[in-house]
Amino acid sequence: MKTKVYLKELAFGRSGDKGDIGNVGIMAKNAESYQVIKKEVTPERVKEYFGGMVKGDVKIYPMDNINALEVVLHKALGGGATRTLRLDQTGKSLCGTLLRMKIEVDEDVVNRARDAEKQILSKYQSW
Amino acid sequence: MKSLRIGSGSAFWGDMLDPAVELAEKGNLKYIGFDHLAELTLAIMHRTKAREPQKGYIEDIIPWTRKLLPITSKKGVKMITNAGAANPESAGDEVVKIAKELGLIGMKVGIVTGDDIADRLEEIRSKGWKFRNLDTGEEDIDRIKNKIVAANTYIGADCIIECLKEGADMVVTGRVSDNALYVGPIMYEMGWDYSGKYVDPIAAAVAAGHIIECSVMCCGGASNLWKIVKNSWRPGFPIVEFYENGDFIITKVEGSGGLVNEWTVKEHLVYEVHDPTHYTMPDSIADFTSLKLEEIDKNKVKVSRAKGEPRPETLKVCIGYEDGFIGEGHIFFSWPDAMAKAKKAEQWIKDRVKYLGLQLEELRIDYLGVNVLHGEAAPWPSEDIDWNEMGLRVTAKTKTRDEADAIRREVTHLWVAGPVSSSFGVPFAPRPVVSLWPTLVPREEVKPQASIKEVK
Repeated sequence: MKTKVYLKELAFGRSGDKGDIGNVGIMAKNAESYQVIKKEVTPERVKEYFGGMVKGDVKIYPMDNINALEVVLHKALGGGATRTLRLDQTGKSLCGTLLRMKIEVDEDVVNRARDAEKQILSKYQSW
Repeated sequence: MKSLRIGSGSAFWGDMLDPAVELAEKGNLKYIGFDHLAELTLAIMHRTKAREPQKGYIEDIIPWTRKLLPITSKKGVKMITNAGAANPESAGDEVVKIAKELGLIGMKVGIVTGDDIADRLEEIRSKGWKFRNLDTGEEDIDRIKNKIVAANTYIGADCIIECLKEGADMVVTGRVSDNALYVGPIMYEMGWDYSGKYVDPIAAAVAAGHIIECSVMCCGGASNLWKIVKNSWRPGFPIVEFYENGDFIITKVEGSGGLVNEWTVKEHLVYEVHDPTHYTMPDSIADFTSLKLEEIDKNKVKVSRAKGEPRPETLKVCIGYEDGFIGEGHIFFSWPDAMAKAKKAEQWIKDRVKYLGLQLEELRIDYLGVNVLHGEAAPWPSEDIDWNEMGLRVTAKTKTRDEADAIRREVTHLWVAGPVSSSFGVPFAPRPVVSLWPTLVPREEVKPQASIKEVK
């Protein structure tokens, strides 16, 4: 059964800035989720989702070696860290924004991604 | 196999000092790198230098050196820092002074300069080069050329290596690429050069530098695993154990807080990288999609299979130029009807700007706790919420300081002229804007220089 969930259910994120370019690394919680994300997170959808926040192109680069996507957002920081009127001058919270985008996915995939996260957290809790 | 251990002691100007001390004392290191420079820190430093010619470096270098040098000099750890910023010579003089006080006679401080090309922009243009803006696509700097305050090149590890060859015990640089602080000592220790024989291993050094250059950010800081990161209030800063074959291990001091695992390393591997197959740095064009990550033990991640291409023929330059002012004011409204009051205040500000004829290039009004961070992408909260309080953050970009100050004043006027029960907190002074013009310069136009200051 297909369901719509936040990208956060399948992935972690980290973001930053270079000039007026924001970038969001999206790291899938398991290999299966990566395949879904690779298909569902497209430049067109990301661009539409951000609306006025991202004024330029969106480019997405896959990193199959670590099950991650590099999402690059051009003209995305209101002119860059020192010029922007945004409080988040360096785009560190853009990852949270993108993880809130909704994607369509099988319920089973979501459940397995949730299990994967539980396993990750319990593994390192004991370190 | 030959190997060396390098720590990362700082991610930015204002980072924690105590984890760097822990690294120096317990890291079993040969080098520690310190990054203090963000993209436009140099522009701020140039301004300081214009007012006080002996300044213009990151003054943290003084307390940092005082605290760390007694430890590193005893343990034989060499510090490589970019705190020289706009004035590596003066920063080096400060280090020499401190070293002398500590009795470290004979200590050698390497200085790297030559990243600053502000005075040479016209000369380089006269040869036909255009400083195209990498963000906006604008062809050249004509529009801003009279407002430029800084132009610093991201230079590579060449001169750090040269300083180390000259016997430097510490190296102070201006703008070098962040990872050059690590690539330099790795290449020096391994005896590598840019001849083309060591392309993949140098790409590995860039990857290693990239992963640790923001210190705690690969050790459980700013992590998605924040719920389970232990003792993140006393985090261990990262250590790379680098091997001659280009493999390396990311770890931290035993017993320190924080976490190093496959996820925390991935988190930084993806950070501020655009095309991961061409991570273009002055020392290499690294392919991060070739890397293999393995957890080999608790808090130990091995990274291998680095690939890359030879270093590029152009270098990145950040030109900073004066670009008007920003005015900012905050106002907070209490229950009852906090949200309705804030909305009324938003309209009040907009009407007031129009009435006074304030010339704003841009006006932004954020609702604190609602859309400050995620802006237009943030869903609007339900109208049924009975907010305890609601804050407005009003900012405007202006051409003049007076207009920036006017917007700040208008926000404070809401205190008495707006809805009942509000406070504006602490007022902000208008701030001058230095905007960024990221561009490229041919490598042969930049002449980095290495020199040595000896403590006598």
